[in-house]
Amino acid sequence: MDSLTLIREFLDSRLEIAPETVLPESKLDDLNVDSLMLAEIMFEFEDRFNLTLHRNLKSPRTVGDLVVLMDRLRSEQG
Amino acid sequence: MTGRRVAVTGLGLISPFGGDLVDFFARLLAAESAIGFLRTDDVPRPLAMPFVGCSGFSAEAMLGRALAGTMDRFAQLGVAAAFGAWADAGFSRADTAQDREGWGVAWGTALGGTLAYENGYRDFWQQGRERLSPLALIRGMNNAANAHISIQLGLGGVSMSHTVACASSAIAIGEAFRRVRSGEAPVMLTGGSDAPQAYAVARAWEALRVLASGDENAAPQSCRPFSVVRSGLVLGEGGAALVLEDWDHAVARGARIQGEMLGYGTSCDHSHLVRPEAAGQVRALEAALADSGLAPGDIDYVNAHGTATAEGDPVEVAALRAVFGERAARLPVSATKSMHGHQLGAAGAVEAIVTVLALREQVLPPTANLTNLDPACAGVDHVLAARNQTVRAALSNSFAFGGSNAVLAFRAVA
Repeated sequence: MDSLTLIREFLDSRLEIAPETVLPESKLDDLNVDSLMLAEIMFEFEDRFNLTLHRNLKSPRTVGDLVVLMDRLRSEQG
Repeated sequence: MTGRRVAVTGLGLISPFGGDLVDFFARLLAAESAIGFLRTDDVPRPLAMPFVGCSGFSAEAMLGRALAGTMDRFAQLGVAAAFGAWADAGFSRADTAQDREGWGVAWGTALGGTLAYENGYRDFWQQGRERLSPLALIRGMNNAANAHISIQLGLGGVSMSHTVACASSAIAIGEAFRRVRSGEAPVMLTGGSDAPQAYAVARAWEALRVLASGDENAAPQSCRPFSVVRSGLVLGEGGAALVLEDWDHAVARGARIQGEMLGYGTSCDHSHLVRPEAAGQVRALEAALADSGLAPGDIDYVNAHGTATAEGDPVEVAALRAVFGERAARLPVSATKSMHGHQLGAAGAVEAIVTVLALREQVLPPTANLTNLDPACAGVDHVLAARNQTVRAALSNSFAFGGSNAVLAFRAVA
């Protein structure tokens, strides 16, 4: 599963956001993804791909930022 | 005690019968039982016990998936009940123009988010996982319900949780009452919630040998307060909420005043963790009467703590006899836990609502299953069937493990 699909699945199951409306340019604020929700997504991501995030990561602003972050970690640790 | 008059303007409850508040009270008047049977597939031994569940409650439907997902079931039940009371009081959740910075929440819960922590232990020790969701802590924290209520309703005053075992929500209501009466808060949302079906919690209660016995067929009639054949209490989950409001504030906005809260008495037995003592309960009853400015002769109904334990019931009746003296024999008393079970931290709020409804509707709910009165519980007027009568003022008793006692006093609105 690619990172964008994982984010879309998560937001669909937790916030009932239609997957097709979650685009790389979508702002996380606009999707009601606050810091707590972001922690949940990252937790899900770590779990799913058996990765460990650095604690001092810069907070992503958009879905695209989050995808880049996830993809980079997967290539480094995967 | 002088101060502001306190109106009850909103009632909300997650009914174990599945319907609304009107339906809930009608079922109690008809002596119907909400007691079902809890059967799990837990190891090493499944739970199998009479239990009152809110099986018709859908947190997702009532709160939305996003909000419900951040909560343990105790908070879901509590927030949903609070939303019900808020709407019943005629307040809008969306009205951001109203200044609610001084309005507050006082909430009772005996257990808090025990299910959330238990799920964490299951993840660790049964599933072999090595870490927990970042939501585990905020789901589990004891003040989750009141925090969510304050956030969702935009209440900027005090937001507190009270953990006092079976008296948790009665004490929360009492503390909320004091804040309104003193003028500190014009409106307080109060009540309580609990979900005691966590495996370790249910088994811990079982170990105390105070739970009612009965199989699936016998469960509905398994809770028999004051009866010589009582076998114990029936655990239940639930959420119940009241809106307490400064009288003038309520009148000014044209609110429906459903009852008046007059007083609150609390005490501690200071003698034993689980064996109640009449002297401590007497102090709480007398304190509630003194706080209310009421005499024993003014009380037309007592909603008893009445859990149906061998130890508790006779002590409560002894306390009532001591306080009400000669009038005790004519004092109507009922234990509605015989029908809605014991929701621990929610019980005091459920019974406060029953008491307000008895005053509002001028009808007393019965004690169900009381066919063979224990002589040790004699000396008060046990209400055995719904009774239409004048109800001027009423008390609601809540007596907790740890010896903490709370008595709430309400009066009918003319």
